Amino acid sequence: MMWQRWWERVRQDPVTLAALVLIMLFFGVACGSWLGLIGGGWSDTSSLLRGGFSAEHWFGTNAIGQDIFQRAVFGTGVAFQVGVSVALGATLLGAVFGSLAGYFHQRAGDGLIGWLMGVIESIPFYLLVAALAFAMQGHNLAMYLAMTLAFWTTTARLVRAETIRLRQMPFVEAARTLGVGQSAILSRHILPNTSHLLLIQFTITFVGAVKAEVVLSFLGLGIQDGVSWGLMIAESTSDLLAGHFSNFLVASISLFLLVMALNLLADAMQDALDPRFSHPADPGPAEPSPAEPSHGT
Amino acid sequence: MPQLVFLTVFFAALLALGGCSSEPEPGPEPQKTYRHSMDGTPTGLDPAHASNVYAGFLVVNLFDTLYRYRYLARPYEITENLAAGPPVVSADGLTYTITLKQGVRFQHDPAFDQGVGREVSAEDLVYSLKRHFDPEVRSRGSWLWRDRIQGMAEWQAQGSDYDQPVTGLRALDRYTVEVRLTRPFPQFVYTLTTAHSALVPREVVEARGREFGTAPVGSGPFRLISMDTTRAELERNPEYRREKIDLAAEGFDPLRHAGLGLESVDGREMPLVDRAVVDFVVDGASGWVSFTAGNEIQYVRLPPDLFDQALASRSPPRLKPDLEQQYHLHVTPEFGVTQIVFNLDDPGIGYQPDPEANLRNRDLRCALRKAFDWDQRNQVFYGGIAQIYPGVIPPAVPEFDPDADRSSVTHDPEGARQILQRLGSAENLPVLEYTYNSGVAQQRGFEQFRGQMSAVGYPDDKITRRVFATFPDVSRAASNRELQIWVYGWTMDYPDAENVLALFYGPNRAPGNNVTNYANPEYDRLFEQAAAMQPSPERTAIYRQLNQMLIDDCVSIAGVTRVRAYLTHRDVIGVPDRELVGGYFLRFVDVVETP
Repeated sequence: MMWQRWWERVRQDPVTLAALVLIMLFFGVACGSWLGLIGGGWSDTSSLLRGGFSAEHWFGTNAIGQDIFQRAVFGTGVAFQVGVSVALGATLLGAVFGSLAGYFHQRAGDGLIGWLMGVIESIPFYLLVAALAFAMQGHNLAMYLAMTLAFWTTTARLVRAETIRLRQMPFVEAARTLGVGQSAILSRHILPNTSHLLLIQFTITFVGAVKAEVVLSFLGLGIQDGVSWGLMIAESTSDLLAGHFSNFLVASISLFLLVMALNLLADAMQDALDPRFSHPADPGPAEPSPAEPSHGT
Repeated sequence: MPQLVFLTVFFAALLALGGCSSEPEPGPEPQKTYRHSMDGTPTGLDPAHASNVYAGFLVVNLFDTLYRYRYLARPYEITENLAAGPPVVSADGLTYTITLKQGVRFQHDPAFDQGVGREVSAEDLVYSLKRHFDPEVRSRGSWLWRDRIQGMAEWQAQGSDYDQPVTGLRALDRYTVEVRLTRPFPQFVYTLTTAHSALVPREVVEARGREFGTAPVGSGPFRLISMDTTRAELERNPEYRREKIDLAAEGFDPLRHAGLGLESVDGREMPLVDRAVVDFVVDGASGWVSFTAGNEIQYVRLPPDLFDQALASRSPPRLKPDLEQQYHLHVTPEFGVTQIVFNLDDPGIGYQPDPEANLRNRDLRCALRKAFDWDQRNQVFYGGIAQIYPGVIPPAVPEFDPDADRSSVTHDPEGARQILQRLGSAENLPVLEYTYNSGVAQQRGFEQFRGQMSAVGYPDDKITRRVFATFPDVSRAASNRELQIWVYGWTMDYPDAENVLALFYGPNRAPGNNVTNYANPEYDRLFEQAAAMQPSPERTAIYRQLNQMLIDDCVSIAGVTRVRAYLTHRDVIGVPDRELVGGYFLRFVDVVETP
């Protein structure tokens, strides 16, 4: 039902449909990169330094003779890898902690989780990542871990609010009366009813993670092994001085297109799945609307 | 009528006020300010902690050293600064007697008697050198004199009590110092030009404690007004001795220095500007923007990425006509060597107990060297104007051999492939780990290295990277012998090849400066022999022999000396030099009105 509603919404809006096609295209490129079908030569160097567009190098080469197209393709894989991993991790954490806090509302667990979220949100995002990167001595997972740690709290707050509402609903009362255990109530009755929120938050976190990766890689705190759009933009600072723009343009246009498409899709998802948007006449209970991760870029 | 009177009085008062304000007030003369920039930040302004070129630049302006380098003479020549003349050296080369200039005073400070700066004396030099061996000071310059001065080790062992004498370091009278060395060290006088050797007043150091590094008091040509993480502001030290510029003595060459307007500073008192503002601009693009703004920094390093846009030719480097009208171009090779070094303690590429395996690893290192393309590195990172030469003795020192065999710096992919094939299949090759600190340029350096190695058949997955957050982290790991391959730059402390050859001397192995952990008894024997010799053709021959040993053993992929291009606004009269002259340049710089 939920997906049907979403698909109807997408089908009726050509812009959203175009965004979906674009995302699928990017995803196809990412899959090709993961499977080693394309972008495998991203690190190969050649003697053609800062070369222009050619049949051999579609988008030219960078300062050490690497093919910019291959690097952009590999960067697409990295963007999806970061987006999916962080969005998945943050959504899962947010769902678990949010539902626990909401279910045990105004009890010690709720207070503890609320305090934890407050502490994490009080640390500036880039400071948190820098501290983790330093502590992990440039480990690849530092960026993933830091982003997940920073992004889950927004999801948790939304899930907590929804859980507080749901726990008072008759079907939950009924389950409790029938002697269903607390964990079963949470996992079978409450969490599935927050899935619309989780889906929307997943998309929004995905966008936030892709953007954050670019900024972190630009600052030297991001991807350590490989290449990403952020690294390409960072590299291009010297290229721009020298009057070569392809590295910068290819990476930033790719980023722009993917982020724009994902944002459009997230909007469509929110319109279709959020009860407040699908039934505008019925304002429903007061609850915070899904939002971009508070630590986002 | 009363209105008329009122208006008359009112306008009369206005006229009177106008008359008062139009009277020229004798105000202070406009200050002449020079705005410099540096691409890094100082480690501290205490001479004991001035371990990078940025700190050294400021320290030699705030304090006095006994000697300095002549402003314009190349090759570099040493000359007196606070010393009244050259040192008197005993026949055995062990005793140096140095006389200080008289009447030189420290800047005023409340720590002095009645707040008035007292005269600099020989005891100040004794105290300043002793400080480097006081564990509480945590000196970063003690290596210059460690085990060189008689009795210093004992003084340190006995608790570093400043009131106790050091047998080899004493003030003979108020202006004369005697230094007795443990063994001949012909480079000793060079160490007295470094920022570490600057003279500090004991009473101020003791009064300020650790804050001395942020509120320094010396006898240099400038004094510190303020400093933060972005800028240092200096002003002329009114107590500075009245010394005049002798351009001929400083090495002025009318041909080489034509068109710079240097003649106008001859015979004038140092320093020439009232204020010197030094901005710390790490990013090259930001520096360029600030420089070209016109009213900000007046000196900048031209980033190699801008060479195409700024230079009409690279050999010799010449500015494009439109830029030439606005700026002066100064091109100077750095005073040091950069190389890609191998840690020979690493069993994968270094020493092995089995002689055959040992030889195999040496061949592997030689193959990596042959695969490395210096010309491409020069194009990408150094704007194509760096000096590439075999070994580690750079062209800036007299011991450099211009006729040396260049095969060790010639890209030879076929030769590399042959060696790798001889070493067996790819599975037998060790995993290479290239280390760098986080940064785009450093990452590009690694990717270029990996690309060149894989081009000769080294498996891509066997060339790994290790990334540290900062450069000091890399240095620390190198000192702990944790690294395998990394880029190692060395800025020379004095114009003598001994300074770079010491990097491979056995007893200096890590945590000392011999970070490759090269161990060759024959090398050590020859090094010790040459280190005690005065400059001579015989000593040069030994130095070159040592250099060849390093090439034959493929200890590193060496070497390159970066050539830096600097620009100054046309209203700046001066020849900047970041190398040995360093901060001493600031006292000679002048700023003039341009039409």
